[in-house]
Amino acid sequence: MSNSHEFGFFRLLVRNLSNRSYRNIATIFVFAFIAATLFSSQYLMNGAQASLDTGMSRMGADILVVPEEYAAAGQTVILSGQPSSFFFNDSSYEKISRIPGVAKASPQIYIATLFASCCAAPLQMIAIDPENDFTISTWLKENPGVKLGKDDIIIGSAVIQDVGNDLPFYGHTFHVVGILKQTGMGVDNSVFTRFEDAYVMADESELKAVKKLTIPPRMVSAVLVKVDPGTSPSAVAREIQDQIPGTKTITPNGLLNTVSGQLGAVRRLLNGTTLAVTIVSIPLLAFISAMVAHERRREIAILRALGATKTYVVRLMLAESFSIAIIGSLIGIGGAMVVLVFFQDFIATSLKIPFIIPSPLALLVDGGTALFLCAGIGGIASLYPAILINRSEPYETIRKGES
Amino acid sequence: MIEARGVTKSFSTNSSEIVAVNDVYLAVKPGEFVLILGRSGSGKSTLLAMLAGLIRPTTGVVRIHGNEIGNLSEDKTAEVRAKEIGFVFQFSGLIPTITALENVMLPTLFCPDGPGSRLRAVELLRKVGLSERTDAYPSTLSSGEMKRVAIARALINGPPILIADEPTGDLDVDTEIEIMELFKDLNREGTTIVVVTHNPDLVPYATRTYGMVKGKLVKNPESFCFRTWKAEPGA
Repeated sequence: MSNSHEFGFFRLLVRNLSNRSYRNIATIFVFAFIAATLFSSQYLMNGAQASLDTGMSRMGADILVVPEEYAAAGQTVILSGQPSSFFFNDSSYEKISRIPGVAKASPQIYIATLFASCCAAPLQMIAIDPENDFTISTWLKENPGVKLGKDDIIIGSAVIQDVGNDLPFYGHTFHVVGILKQTGMGVDNSVFTRFEDAYVMADESELKAVKKLTIPPRMVSAVLVKVDPGTSPSAVAREIQDQIPGTKTITPNGLLNTVSGQLGAVRRLLNGTTLAVTIVSIPLLAFISAMVAHERRREIAILRALGATKTYVVRLMLAESFSIAIIGSLIGIGGAMVVLVFFQDFIATSLKIPFIIPSPLALLVDGGTALFLCAGIGGIASLYPAILINRSEPYETIRKGES
Repeated sequence: MIEARGVTKSFSTNSSEIVAVNDVYLAVKPGEFVLILGRSGSGKSTLLAMLAGLIRPTTGVVRIHGNEIGNLSEDKTAEVRAKEIGFVFQFSGLIPTITALENVMLPTLFCPDGPGSRLRAVELLRKVGLSERTDAYPSTLSSGEMKRVAIARALINGPPILIADEPTGDLDVDTEIEIMELFKDLNREGTTIVVVTHNPDLVPYATRTYGMVKGKLVKNPESFCFRTWKAEPGA
């Protein structure tokens, strides 16, 4: 029985690739660069999107209502958790609750803690009303062993503390009873407590803290709104702004636009670089392919003289090109991923965007897209030289090579 | 088995048309060892390429086993080359990136149903005296060794026809004799052999010899060869 497949197409392919290593390494580098820029662009955007989805889901709100003049601060609290304090009259909360389409409304008070001996760290403290809350209450339902009682706090994942630890804020000691999962958003840098404990902390601050904390009576910082099923959050948000002057609404879509804007410059840079590299690389890679094809015309002619069909030759040359493109892309994607994961916090902080590592499926799609595009570029660049070399008469080519 | 009927091949240049092979009739029967003698540029290699289906005649017909190869598609012609014909190029024509053994096995890629195998490749390399050089790359082989690898490669698919273009062209006398003895053995085993050469010393190995002069096939080579070459200095 024939065992001719001991030396097969794949073995010939590997031999051809490994024995022309210098030029192949240079080509692999070009593909790695294209794939890395393509992947990075998608990775950053998907990371921000995933973070927004997780963060908004954590908040459980469709709309966040804040004082008009603190709209930017409100966004910052949600996106990065940068400590901030602002207030508006809680009568707005009553009015919001009555607007058609609003299913639930929950007030919150934002307190910026201090960088001083009285406080563990400058964090965003968020006081909630346990009666109406749907931010922490959802999490509490998922974690039935945890209760947010007197002087208890639940902390974000970026607050480096363990359950059971005591933390002082404005001289008042709180007890950590839970840690939220990472969202990549402001929630990670926040500390959640009850309204009444926040008021007690404020009352005690004059004596216990280096700076007095004032929470004006009948004032809140923000109102979280959950809309009725089937109702458009944007429509309800417009209604709230129309009916309650001096308020500003923040929706997930609005936040995404803000994040897109913040990412825009980086994306433009990455996409521009990718486009420029691709535009330059296609003719460059085509030139390299044509050069290789020209160098190998005698070898290809010998293959054809030995019985290789034209299809076989094109398949071999395309397979070589695809292999180089795929190897380069995998190196580029892998390298970009290591850098992006390693510098994830630095990138998110620098770009002021919420960020968590996208889901494995999103990573697979991002990587697959970069891989597919690079393989396409490789195929386009090598197809014409492969067809061209096939047009020549093998006998003539061999004879010319012999003379 | 191989038949050329009124085969002509001409090439156009900018100013003129060159007739490389002119109205050739040739019939090679199974088991024959045919030698075609001629000086450089006489058209013998072009004739050989047409017999192997590597180029198509301008006019005339080439048949292998009764099938007119001019009527076959390019892929079908490639299939005929892979199965029916072993071709030894004037220079070895080995692929530089693969070993001697892999070079011998190369035609098996294009003839998966043939008898070619690793075992057969090793055996063929042993037969041509290169059992110790199976893993050597072409760049490390001598001209004679490369030629022997090329012969082993031509035989891997067990073709009934072996066509060789100047198989001893760049070899020393001892290697030339070794190669021709190998051809003789193969012919005895039943392989039909067609060789083109400029070397009249190879005549004794053939069962039939032709001459080639200015594209024409001459049937009386003994008188023609030496007289022609003497008449055309530099040949």
